[in-house]
Amino acid sequence: MFSLVRKDLILQKSSILLLPVLCAYLAFNTSILWIGIVFSIVISLNSFSTDEKSPIHILFNSLPYTRKEIVTSKYISAFIFTAVVAIAIFIGNYFINGMIVDWKVFVLMFGIVLSVISVIFPLSYKFTSNQLLMVSLVLSGIFLVAVNFFVKNWIDQIRAFIGWLLALEGNQIYFMMAGAVFILYAGSWLLSMYIYKKKVF
Amino acid sequence: MENIIELKNVHKSFKGFDIKNFSIAVKKGFVTGFIGGNGVGKSTTIKMIMNLLQPDSGTVSVFGLNYKEHEKEIKQRIGFVYDENILYDHLSLNQMKDIVKHAYENWDDHLFNHYVELFDLPLKKKIKTFSKGMMMKASLTMALSHHAELIIMDEPTSGLDPIFRRELLEILHQLMQDGDKTIFFSTHITTDLDMIADYITFIHNGEHIFTKDLIEIEEEYAIVKGGLELLDREIEQEFLAVRKSNYGFEALTANKGRAEEVFGDMVIMEKPTLEDIMYYTKKGAEQHV
Amino acid sequence: MQIIISNSSKQHIYEQIYEQLKTSILSNELEAGQSLPSMRQLAKDLNVSLITTKRAYEELEKTGFIYSIVGKGSFVSEQNSEMVKEAKMKGIEEQLLTAIRNSKDIGISLTELKELLTILYREEE
Repeated sequence: MFSLVRKDLILQKSSILLLPVLCAYLAFNTSILWIGIVFSIVISLNSFSTDEKSPIHILFNSLPYTRKEIVTSKYISAFIFTAVVAIAIFIGNYFINGMIVDWKVFVLMFGIVLSVISVIFPLSYKFTSNQLLMVSLVLSGIFLVAVNFFVKNWIDQIRAFIGWLLALEGNQIYFMMAGAVFILYAGSWLLSMYIYKKKVF
Repeated sequence: MENIIELKNVHKSFKGFDIKNFSIAVKKGFVTGFIGGNGVGKSTTIKMIMNLLQPDSGTVSVFGLNYKEHEKEIKQRIGFVYDENILYDHLSLNQMKDIVKHAYENWDDHLFNHYVELFDLPLKKKIKTFSKGMMMKASLTMALSHHAELIIMDEPTSGLDPIFRRELLEILHQLMQDGDKTIFFSTHITTDLDMIADYITFIHNGEHIFTKDLIEIEEEYAIVKGGLELLDREIEQEFLAVRKSNYGFEALTANKGRAEEVFGDMVIMEKPTLEDIMYYTKKGAEQHV
Repeated sequence: MQIIISNSSKQHIYEQIYEQLKTSILSNELEAGQSLPSMRQLAKDLNVSLITTKRAYEELEKTGFIYSIVGKGSFVSEQNSEMVKEAKMKGIEEQLLTAIRNSKDIGISLTELKELLTILYREEE
């Protein structure tokens, strides 16, 4: 199974070359959290979509792998990509800005990235990317309209909320959050395995 | 004789298409050709043998093992070729090999290089630039480089030129020098089969029509040609199907001996090709409905 | 040893292989104890299916022309002279029958045919 993870890493070599670009962003002092989230999700989803065309699934399902392993490897790879981005940010920030990033930022970054992936992966196993694109366009349209209608300055409010989270002193909340995200990730993993088991090629 | 693949009472339903009570056995050490028209269930059957699809009911076993408990063990011992490209086309053959080789315990780089040389394949060009024939050779190279005991191929010769088809048969003959190897492949180019297949499994409309060895087929089936005056309702029933024209009739019998008794020298009897058998069986199935 | 296969012949391919191997054995071209190519090798060389060569060997074994040792392969049997003679006699009969039929077609009588046979037989000596 680890050869499947290895394959994901090899195939994303070119994305990993993007990491210097990431450092450039750091130099412009953009939000570290934001960069981390965007890069991790983009790389993980890119890795997922490389395998999306079904002939490749025929290949991996014909090779000596089980369907469980194929799904599991994707979840491990996504985790590794996020970790690589986090490490790159840590090192980049240290050398460029001469600062050590607060660990809470990383917890928050992992929390948000893994939560997003937890939602996207099972949906992607179930539906085609075209279907998903249509649905997500419609949903985000509705969301924006609704949010603008009901909540004024919602972007500022989210910023304020994240600022509040990061300012929290109690470490306990962070541990609880990490725990909750892991449970979500594990649940998503089980759900994806269930969906993938029934998939027809 | 040992059976390498066994399907027992397999059912599989799709929208508007069924595999019905399908049972076959593929013998070890021989080449079995899997024939039938387009859309009669060949690919579906192969997918079930590869565990890409699970039957609604019935059992599939390969090497005497079931997929539920022995999936990886089974697939370690299978080499596969499909009729569509299942490799990453933005990679080169070398990069693709690097991904596939780690899946197999018995991967053999020497063997891989041997076939790459034999097929004259470029290692560094992207697979998307490959022609249909090269694609097939690349898949075949992957299938043959890990000492698989069972080679399963879905329409390997479709879209290939006659010269390469001939070369492929030679490679398969070479492979069969090892008595432990078994080949199962589907095709609708039946002329390929005369030179290599030992057994023919014939599927039509999701049903198993027969599995026979080539000699049995020659001994049992015959094309009968003669004048229309020889036919009556009763005699027509004896044939699988009859094709009549203004000048005479042509029919397929599955009981050559009986036809010889009935008609004697009044008709011409010929050895049928597999295509004849496929054609008349399909016609027969339609006539009897 | 030569084996030439015709795909358009009415005879099954395995029968053609059987007949030609039999001829080679009867003419002593293949000697007693000599090993035959493996069935798989022969199938590859002749570009025919394995089941075809397998059947040919089985028939040769049934009629006593060859024997097989598991794991070693197939070998030409010791031909007892009775059998060889019998097989050859059969061949002669067939050829004579053809001669007789042809003679009848153009009205040659038995006496004439006998005379012809005697002359030809003496010439060969």
